[in-house]
Amino acid sequence: MERSSDHGNLDTALRALRPTPRPAFAAELDERVARGFKSDSQASRSPLATLADRFRGLSPQRLLFATGGTALAAIAVATVLVAVNESNPAPIALEERYAQQQRPPRITQFSEPIPKALDRLAELDRLAGNAAAGQAEGASGVQSSESLSFSAVNRNSGYLRAKREIERSAEITLLAEPGDVGADSAEVFDAVHDANGIVLRSTTTAGADAGAHFELLIPTPKLGDALAAFSAIDEVRSRHEATADITAPTVALGERLQDSRAKIDGLLAQLAAAETQTESEAIEIALRDERLHAAALRARLDKLRQRADFSRVSLSIETGASATDSNDGSWGIGDAFDDAGHILSIAAGVTVIALAVLAPIALTLLLAWLIRGTWLRRARARALA
Amino acid sequence: MNRSVARSKGMSETLLAPAAEAPSEADLTFDRLYRSSRDDIYAYAAGLLRDPAAAEEVTATAFERAYRKQSRFDARRGSARAWLFGIARNAALDELRRRGRDAKLTAEPVDASGLAGDDEAAQSELRVLLADALEELTAGERELVSLKYFAGLSNAEIASVLGISESNAGTKLHRTVNKLREACNGAL
Repeated sequence: MERSSDHGNLDTALRALRPTPRPAFAAELDERVARGFKSDSQASRSPLATLADRFRGLSPQRLLFATGGTALAAIAVATVLVAVNESNPAPIALEERYAQQQRPPRITQFSEPIPKALDRLAELDRLAGNAAAGQAEGASGVQSSESLSFSAVNRNSGYLRAKREIERSAEITLLAEPGDVGADSAEVFDAVHDANGIVLRSTTTAGADAGAHFELLIPTPKLGDALAAFSAIDEVRSRHEATADITAPTVALGERLQDSRAKIDGLLAQLAAAETQTESEAIEIALRDERLHAAALRARLDKLRQRADFSRVSLSIETGASATDSNDGSWGIGDAFDDAGHILSIAAGVTVIALAVLAPIALTLLLAWLIRGTWLRRARARALA
Repeated sequence: MNRSVARSKGMSETLLAPAAEAPSEADLTFDRLYRSSRDDIYAYAAGLLRDPAAAEEVTATAFERAYRKQSRFDARRGSARAWLFGIARNAALDELRRRGRDAKLTAEPVDASGLAGDDEAAQSELRVLLADALEELTAGERELVSLKYFAGLSNAEIASVLGISESNAGTKLHRTVNKLREACNGAL
């Protein structure tokens, strides 16, 4: 009974020691609560800080929903961007092709260094000049036809000196619907005609394995325009261009032709000076052989010049898988499933990449948060000890 | 959220008050919690920290944190009052850590003036003794006394705030009270 009374006294005494807040503090706190703890300085707070406050105030469920929603939205946006980028590469390819078209021809092969070839061109000109002088000194009527030929060589050397001999070639593959192969082939012929080109060989196949192939010769100055015209016929699947410098072999052939001409001139001089029948016959035989040799050289030189003047173009029209996915060009349920599967695979890829990037960061943050929580709990427990 | 504006002073104002300015249910709940717990939170903080200024700071901090985190309150995990005291306890312990690093706290002297008569003189003496005895308690023991006698929490609520079982809270409290009783043995 006495203990109970003691206990009551102690309780009363302890409760009497209860601290009470100052009225001024209580009033101030009341006001702050009424204002929702919005201080004057809060009006000038950055939106980021306000957002962080709201973020901290979210319940775990809402936080989970917000994070999940944001992640889903980010994945959806990334998927759409990737899908759109994948399905529409044409503008980029066209720009690239246009840029390639605007670039000057790229010299891909040199069989002889340029300075050396130029030296040989100069030497060729000098020899041609000497021969012309010797020719003017001679008075033989037999020389007239040969001097005309030599003028041609001289012109050739001047031509060679004026510009380099560049051989160009191109391969282009167009992608067409099977029903469009005929019309596309006709457009190819038109484009070749417009460029004053030559169709060396053409093959056009109709039906299920529809396609066409053309071997063309296009005047080199018009190659760019012709390729642009071919590219405009249908979708370009691939296009390759190559160049080769054939200046050196052209110069070498010119030299040999010039030597042959000089030899012919010498033989003609010997023939004019021959005194016996036997001697004349021997010289005529040598002259005939040399003329044959000169003709062969000139033919080879013409072929080389033709390679520089006309570019070889190999053009194919294909009806590939992408063009024949839907036989009638319509979009059906199968395509829908294919597209859906494609989109889902992109979404899965984006998710995996995002997880690969974010998972280590999230794990690190989680670990830091757990360590901080543990440390804080221990520190608070120590404060009480 | 502006309660001073939203709180109407008459029926006409109530009817005319825009819906956007009306306090939400959560605000009203927090308002009730604040009004019923303000002095208790302060009493607990002051009893634990023995510094009125620090107690005021802790009280304000606790209510601000509770206001910002009110959407996180889960009624299944305990009462709103216990949740609020948990927040206040964390704020008080943080303050205790900070003060412990900086300077020693000083207790507020017990005001025994204005008391007259034998009983009141005895009570006054008891209070002084108790105040001295409280000074001798550890922070943990002082926290138990503050929660029980200053804040008026039940043993179950104390257990919830401290994260221990109710029986453990009762045992610890009993020991602490016995310690105080022994210290004040002559005056009881």
